[in-house]
Amino acid sequence: MEPLAPRPQMTTLLANSVLDRLERLRIRAPGRRTSRSRGEHFSGKGGASTEFCDYRDYSPGDDTRFVDWNIFARLHRPYLKQFHREEERHVVLLIDASASMKFEGKLDLARPLAAAFGVMGLLNNERVSAYVSHQAGNAPDRLPPCRGRANLRTLFQFIENIASQGDAPLDRAVELLLRHHTGRGVCVIVSDFLTFGDLKRGFNLLYAAGLEPLGVQILSPREIEPEISTDLRLVDSETQETLDISSNDDLASLYQEYRQRLETDLALLCRRRSGRFLSVNSETPVESVLFDQMRRKGWIE
Amino acid sequence: MSWGGFQTLSHLWLLTLLAPLIVFYFLKLKRPRAEIPSLFLWRQVLQDQRVNSPFQRFKRNLLLLLQILLLLFLVLAALQPFWRGGPGQHRRLPVLVDCSASMAALDKPGGVSRLDEAKTRVRRIIDGLASDQELCLVSFDGSPHKLTGFTNDKRLLRDALDQIKIADVTSDLEQALRLVQAIGRSEPFDEVLLFSDGNFPARVNFDLSFKLDYQRLPPPGPNLGITALSAERAATGGWDVFVQIDGSADAEGNASVELFQDGNSIANERITVARGHSQRMVFQVNGEHASSLRVQLTPDTFDSLASDNAAYLDLPESRPLRVFVPKSLFSYRLALQGIKGIRLFPEETSDDAGSGAYDLVISDNPQDMSIPARTRLSVGFIPPELDSLIEIGTNGSAVVDWRRDAPVLQHVQLSDLVVLDQPQFAENAGEGDLENLGYEVLIYGEHGPLMVRKQDPDSLRYALLFHTDRSTLPYRVGFPIFVANVVQAALGQAGLAEQPAARTGVLPPVTLTPGGHYDVQAPDQTVQSVAADDRGLVSGVSAPLAGYYSVLENGKPLRRVGVSLLSPSETMLAGVDQIQFNERLQVGAAQQIVKADMPLWPVLLMAGLAVMLAEWWFFQKKPGGWR
Repeated sequence: MEPLAPRPQMTTLLANSVLDRLERLRIRAPGRRTSRSRGEHFSGKGGASTEFCDYRDYSPGDDTRFVDWNIFARLHRPYLKQFHREEERHVVLLIDASASMKFEGKLDLARPLAAAFGVMGLLNNERVSAYVSHQAGNAPDRLPPCRGRANLRTLFQFIENIASQGDAPLDRAVELLLRHHTGRGVCVIVSDFLTFGDLKRGFNLLYAAGLEPLGVQILSPREIEPEISTDLRLVDSETQETLDISSNDDLASLYQEYRQRLETDLALLCRRRSGRFLSVNSETPVESVLFDQMRRKGWIE
Repeated sequence: MSWGGFQTLSHLWLLTLLAPLIVFYFLKLKRPRAEIPSLFLWRQVLQDQRVNSPFQRFKRNLLLLLQILLLLFLVLAALQPFWRGGPGQHRRLPVLVDCSASMAALDKPGGVSRLDEAKTRVRRIIDGLASDQELCLVSFDGSPHKLTGFTNDKRLLRDALDQIKIADVTSDLEQALRLVQAIGRSEPFDEVLLFSDGNFPARVNFDLSFKLDYQRLPPPGPNLGITALSAERAATGGWDVFVQIDGSADAEGNASVELFQDGNSIANERITVARGHSQRMVFQVNGEHASSLRVQLTPDTFDSLASDNAAYLDLPESRPLRVFVPKSLFSYRLALQGIKGIRLFPEETSDDAGSGAYDLVISDNPQDMSIPARTRLSVGFIPPELDSLIEIGTNGSAVVDWRRDAPVLQHVQLSDLVVLDQPQFAENAGEGDLENLGYEVLIYGEHGPLMVRKQDPDSLRYALLFHTDRSTLPYRVGFPIFVANVVQAALGQAGLAEQPAARTGVLPPVTLTPGGHYDVQAPDQTVQSVAADDRGLVSGVSAPLAGYYSVLENGKPLRRVGVSLLSPSETMLAGVDQIQFNERLQVGAAQQIVKADMPLWPVLLMAGLAVMLAEWWFFQKKPGGWR
């Protein structure tokens, strides 16, 4: 019996094995923000799905089709059966592809992570749209909302074509994103969050638009542990602005302090808006991020 | 008072190097560019108040500050700053260093001598000498020695300082000060530095015209030493040798005194010296032959000065005094006959005048004065060299005064002496003319001298300018006393009465072949060439060290002469705290050790090196930069 030929790789972003595992997973949002349109996510309200939810007293005018006649036969009182309402959830992917993301494989991790979220969304019959922010002032590249397995390839192609360039601030990218987006759900933001913009405003806009922010911060090893062995003139890769620093361990410890404070602030910003936040090293394998860190933290289930 | 200064202030222009240093620093400060994703965090960090605190700002420019500090240290070192000491205030400073015998005294067993201590202090001054300061080194013992002129050459000064050696003689501060004063006439100065143990007379006959900084050295340890050694002719024909042992104020204890005659020990005595007391002892020595004596003192405990522990004495053969008196001078012959130990010529029983030299010639015949003799007494005529100064009158004369302290006139009463001759000064002649010829007036008459004396190195001459037969002198009680005094003087001159030990300083005259050339070898084996004069005398030979001096002819020893320190003041190591100068001017010993200028440039250079090392460590060696 001849061995089976290896299955062709579906995308360069994620290995087939990862895709196989992703098929069985879905994004777990802390809040349950869904659109009115029917979908596969229970809404907080009762619905017409097949999933029983609860009983309630009958009120005049209720649809008698939902009266539980068995209970009526035993108790001689009408009770109405309630079912979960399954609504549609949007999964918005916002990928920061500014110049700062090209360092040390940050974008190389951002793309498969975004693809993984997109895959989970598509395979769970959610509306997935993707936005890539590049140049400040320009509208982000956009993948219109799509749904279903059939759009996997479209999603992969869109994400594979992302190249890092530009200096778009993240809050501005959110603002531009919301001009095109409608629907509630989650917004997965994959970025280094090293932006001079007002993130709080951007997150507020997202929350107001019904999107729970799921922030994934990708930092390179040198951003996590910068080496300052001599006096340097630092050049911002996006703005080309410069900053002189002297080799100083006090400076390094202060940097760590500010980096951790940024993470804390971002986590707080997300949590207060029913979101989540995770900071990962760009050298961490995507499998580890997805199936280890995110799964342990309850991002996916 | 100035606390310090800079020796080469002209190097201040080096401070202008600060400008290129700062310029080059900022030029070099073109930092390597490092592109990073975002300055977002770094801007926040640099805006932090802790980063912008003054200390942090200082740390950011620490490299520049260290380099400026290093340059400042180097420039300061080039300016040659110094911390002002004592002598540094003076541009010219003569330094007197005592090198007399007492300066060889040690402070403790195996310790340092006073001279070494003085050298250490002077060397410190030399080391701290500023470029505009000059020292003049003068050492002094019995006489001063100018070692260098005023110079700033430290090597020359150090070499000169090393050449200072102990001389076993007493110090003469007065001569040293006069030499310094003479130097000051051509090269003025304000202050003189004196290093001494204070072993000199408390009163110095000197008009102090400059400030004297008297640096008295610390007192040495206890010392015992021989301070006197002499021999007297004993009645038995031998010699009685007298030895005196003295000690310093804090010296006491036992010692042994051993007497060697021609190298053989002939006596050994144990003595105990109490504090503040001296010990005297007498040894009987055979005088049949000329001999050389050596007295060796060996203290049982620590003795700070070694040079006074041995004394040397050369004894002549003990023999009768050979006296020539012509039979015409009956009174003298009669007086001499009563004195023991005299052999009188010509003898009474014969006209044999004897042969060879006499010890004493007394004659009224000028021709007899040509007879070889160590002592002569001419009677009744004027010595030929005084012919032009003194003439004999006929009016008679009387004694006006006489030198009662002269040995030859001791216990001689000359008042009311009648003299028929009338010695008187010639016209335009006076006592000063006699003194110019080496004569000393002993008896003054009404018109001129009646008796004169002349001491030559090898002979003694008395001249009675009147004839005693034409005076009442022979009839006076004092006449035999006078003759006995003359005999004593002759004995002394012949070395038959008392023989004192020769002291250091100048070697006693030695009679050798006239015109001969000899070498004199000192105890430290140094040799000096000397020549005998036409009388065969070798004199004026320097003998600064105690011990035996050998007279060599063609390398072969001819004679050995021993000289000894024999100075109570040097042995007692007494030092004065106050020096009394003329006009009641007093100079006390300085309370503080004189401090030399302390050059600070080595410290600054070391500081610069430390800064450089710190910079290297912080910015090159230390992993991860400085913290």
